[in-house]
Amino acid sequence: MFSLIKIWKNLKKNGVMGINQRNADYILKYNQRKFYPLVDDKILTKQKAVEANISAPELYAIISNEHDIANFGKIVKDINDFVIKPARGSGGDGIIVISEHFGEDRFKTVSGKILHISEIEYQLSNIITGLYSLGGERDSAIIEYRVKPDPIFKSISHEGVPDLRVIVLKGYPIMAMLRLPTRQSGGKANLHQGAIGVGIDLKTGTTLNGTWGNEPIESHPDTSTIVKGIKLPMWNEFLRLATSCYELVHLGYIGVDLVLDEKKGPMILEINARPGLNIQIANNVGLYLRAHEVEKRLKDLEAKEIKESISERIEFCTSKLY
Amino acid sequence: MRQNALHLKFLIFTFLFLGITILFYQIFILKTPIRENQVDNLWTIDAKISFEVKGTRAVNIEFFLPAKTNDYQVSDEIFLANNYGQNIINQDENRMVIWSARALSGKQSIFYRTNIIRKLNGETIQTKGEIYRQSIVVTNENEKNAIDRLTKEIRSKSSNTSTFITTAINLINDSSNGDVKLLLKGNNSTNNKIKILEVILSQAHIPIQQVHTLILERSDNQTPKQWIRSYIESTPNKGSWQYFNPIDSSTNMPENELIWWIGENPLLNIKNGVNERVSFSIDQSELTAIELSKLAAGDNNLKKYSFYTLPITTQFAYQTMLMIPFGVLVILILRNIIGINSLGTFTPVLIALAFRETGLGFGILFFSIVVSIGLLLRSYLEHLKLQMLPRLSIVLTFVVCIIIFVGLLSHKLGFEQGLSITLFPMVILTMTIERLSITWDERGANFALKVAFGTMIAASLAFLVMGYPPFVYFVFTFPAILLILVSFMLAMGRYRGYRLFELFRFKAMAK
Repeated sequence: MFSLIKIWKNLKKNGVMGINQRNADYILKYNQRKFYPLVDDKILTKQKAVEANISAPELYAIISNEHDIANFGKIVKDINDFVIKPARGSGGDGIIVISEHFGEDRFKTVSGKILHISEIEYQLSNIITGLYSLGGERDSAIIEYRVKPDPIFKSISHEGVPDLRVIVLKGYPIMAMLRLPTRQSGGKANLHQGAIGVGIDLKTGTTLNGTWGNEPIESHPDTSTIVKGIKLPMWNEFLRLATSCYELVHLGYIGVDLVLDEKKGPMILEINARPGLNIQIANNVGLYLRAHEVEKRLKDLEAKEIKESISERIEFCTSKLY
Repeated sequence: MRQNALHLKFLIFTFLFLGITILFYQIFILKTPIRENQVDNLWTIDAKISFEVKGTRAVNIEFFLPAKTNDYQVSDEIFLANNYGQNIINQDENRMVIWSARALSGKQSIFYRTNIIRKLNGETIQTKGEIYRQSIVVTNENEKNAIDRLTKEIRSKSSNTSTFITTAINLINDSSNGDVKLLLKGNNSTNNKIKILEVILSQAHIPIQQVHTLILERSDNQTPKQWIRSYIESTPNKGSWQYFNPIDSSTNMPENELIWWIGENPLLNIKNGVNERVSFSIDQSELTAIELSKLAAGDNNLKKYSFYTLPITTQFAYQTMLMIPFGVLVILILRNIIGINSLGTFTPVLIALAFRETGLGFGILFFSIVVSIGLLLRSYLEHLKLQMLPRLSIVLTFVVCIIIFVGLLSHKLGFEQGLSITLFPMVILTMTIERLSITWDERGANFALKVAFGTMIAASLAFLVMGYPPFVYFVFTFPAILLILVSFMLAMGRYRGYRLFELFRFKAMAK
């Protein structure tokens, strides 16, 4: 009992954010319900991103009814590799990643499995009828550009595409984490499925130590490579993309998921309106500590009636929050 | 934001204040019993009135009913007087029934039964009495002298009105006193003594009244006992009735005596009847507090709106409903303060409701069996790639089959509970299976089992809270506690401290 009180006090002192605090003081306060569809529906997010000139995987086609499914063969005729995913899916379910055509009617997935076009059509039909959308509502399937991860991640990830999660509070990037798939997570970059999270120094874009589950770790569980000290290329571009998502979806507290494509550089994958809290363990810094700094800054600026530009906001975060 | 917080605080305090006020009003003013097993007695008093009519004549019967000046109240009464017109008259403190019939002959009997309980809120009707009366003029010289001597003696032996009366009673019961003998003229009945007492006390201008009581104990053929009372002011304009036993001059009326009527009029007065007789028989039964409050309902405006006046089946339904918010409270605490994961918010409450039919142990066992089989089925259906609605329908159908099968099996094995689960909420089970298997897919078996376990814990706790009889009684009798609950829930809406489990989750960061 006594030690629990001590843990409580220390967590408070270190500014660690709990679920109750995140929900009451950040999500409820800064995220208006009416803007949620913008992040729940990946088609809407993508359209917004294109309008705002924010780099995102190119949308090849939307399949929203049985008629579109019949046209699937025609749509992908000239596209060599692509990704099929449900527009409102969650947790990475229902995603097919095709790396090349294989003969007339067959496709090859990234993991080397050969699929007949009828199997893909069946999967599309599943997506449309809402098999992967929570609540079972009718959904659409997206066919989009396949991200090829930059080779820099080769040594610290197992299959799949690593992604970068940035927490953005009112347009200020306050914390970032690299999410690396593991054998356990089955190539998915989802922390609760077993992927590891690696903290990132906001100022330099260099990786710190990581977290696996709730445990702090120093090396990747599959490759045993030390995860610390890798400098992400184009770090400023990552920050710029994540930061500009605030103007994109009008939500004040979001987790932006970005990827690094070997040819097209950083692009945003999706936006999460309820980002998890394990990013704190990965960075070994309390979220509240940083969020509070930003809130203080916002108050000052409001008093002076100043609105900061994207680069000013990044400048503030990279110089003050670490 | 700040204005919002103020608004919330205002709401919290309003609800809290309202709830506590109503609760205190019920407990301390209405004296509603807090616990159900507080028992009290219910007295059933039967009065049988018999008389004869010579020839055929019109009959008018006046009969006193239990007086209003009591620590007891009438919960119900029955009159068995078929051929009579009946009229109940309320006097200041007395109640009287008048039966009348135009043509009666021969032996007659009338039956009156009443159920008496102690007043829950302890309020008695306070009336004021006279404090001065004119002296009764005595014409007989001998008697006048005897009374004067007695009065003188009493005055010398007493210090105030109360002791004056007790001294007078003691004297009148002193059979060796010559003056008393002279006045009583050999008639030693209580009635006669009271009559002489009245004369003596009137010389000192002390008014008295006769009080007739029944002793509340199991008995047949009880005759009313006589008391006298006088209104005595301790300070000007502030006084109370004091009761005196005219035989032994004791001044405290025992708690178990019920005042039937006040005054010198006879209990029964029949015009054109002879050989009239009243016999009282008294019986006792024990009542729990709930039954008592039921009986007490109806004499008080607020109680009229209590749940106890509802039909009994509705009461049971309301009892269950009133407990649901407390089940939700358990879930709220478990989730937001402890941090236990459960399926949805209300699923555990619904499961807890289902446990009411099966009992806790059997319910958990049964639930686990059905959910496990359902999960196996669901994971098999997963391979068939079915759409959600058909898939749910299939799972539901199988759930029904499993329920019936397990029910029959346990019946064969001799567990009667198996049959009680016919109405076990199948939809809840089906949804539980569905959501659990989605959780399983998305977050792994470990997490799904953790969630299932958390749900069972939450449901069991909610069941225990919702089914704890003293608590159920308390909530049902004092529904205002819901207001206090709402204020707590409102406060929880802004709780932003760590959850207990988060202390372990972020332990690595507590350096």
